[in-house]
Amino acid sequence: MKNTIKVERAKKNWTQADLARHIGISRQGLNSIETGKFIPSTVLALRMAKVFNTTVEVLFQLDDIEE
Amino acid sequence: MEQSKKTVNRQSIVFALLHGATYLPATWLLKHHVVDPPFSVILAIVPVVTFAIFVFKLIKAFSIMDEVKQRVQLEAIVIGFSLTAMLMMLLFLLSLCDLSNPVWFSYGHLVGYCWGFYFIGWFISKKKYGV
Repeated sequence: MKNTIKVERAKKNWTQADLARHIGISRQGLNSIETGKFIPSTVLALRMAKVFNTTVEVLFQLDDIEE
Repeated sequence: MEQSKKTVNRQSIVFALLHGATYLPATWLLKHHVVDPPFSVILAIVPVVTFAIFVFKLIKAFSIMDEVKQRVQLEAIVIGFSLTAMLMMLLFLLSLCDLSNPVWFSYGHLVGYCWGFYFIGWFISKKKYGV
């Protein structure tokens, strides 16, 4: 699964720690999600979309092989 | 919220240390027969009680961890439990053919191996998720 968290974060000029604080997880946890090592739950994905004022589909996309 | 998370985490660490502080002296005292049988039974139960409290605190700490940390702990416990179960199975089967080495594989050692396997699982899972 691909994600655009880094891009959305850059738009807001937020560090990983800033975003992690907004969505209530640890910075290391967010790094794990951002690098694609961990797939977040629906709740966390929705929370992330909310703080970026976007949709989950914009933040997360299936890989070509998964589609 | 952050403060309460820290408090709950600290409590689980405190009770882990408390368990260690009761388990090791109890083991030594019981091994060297320092205390008489009625009291030795109580002495054998004390570390079990502190361990039960530690597990309760640990479960409480799990419930407020973020989902990545919860996954790491879950995988660590699955790996730890599986390896311990495999070791016990192997020891049981070896004992059926009169092959056993109580010097290295007694009940006491199994407790140590179980913790060792949990930490191996924790290390593997932490590496996997990069946390």
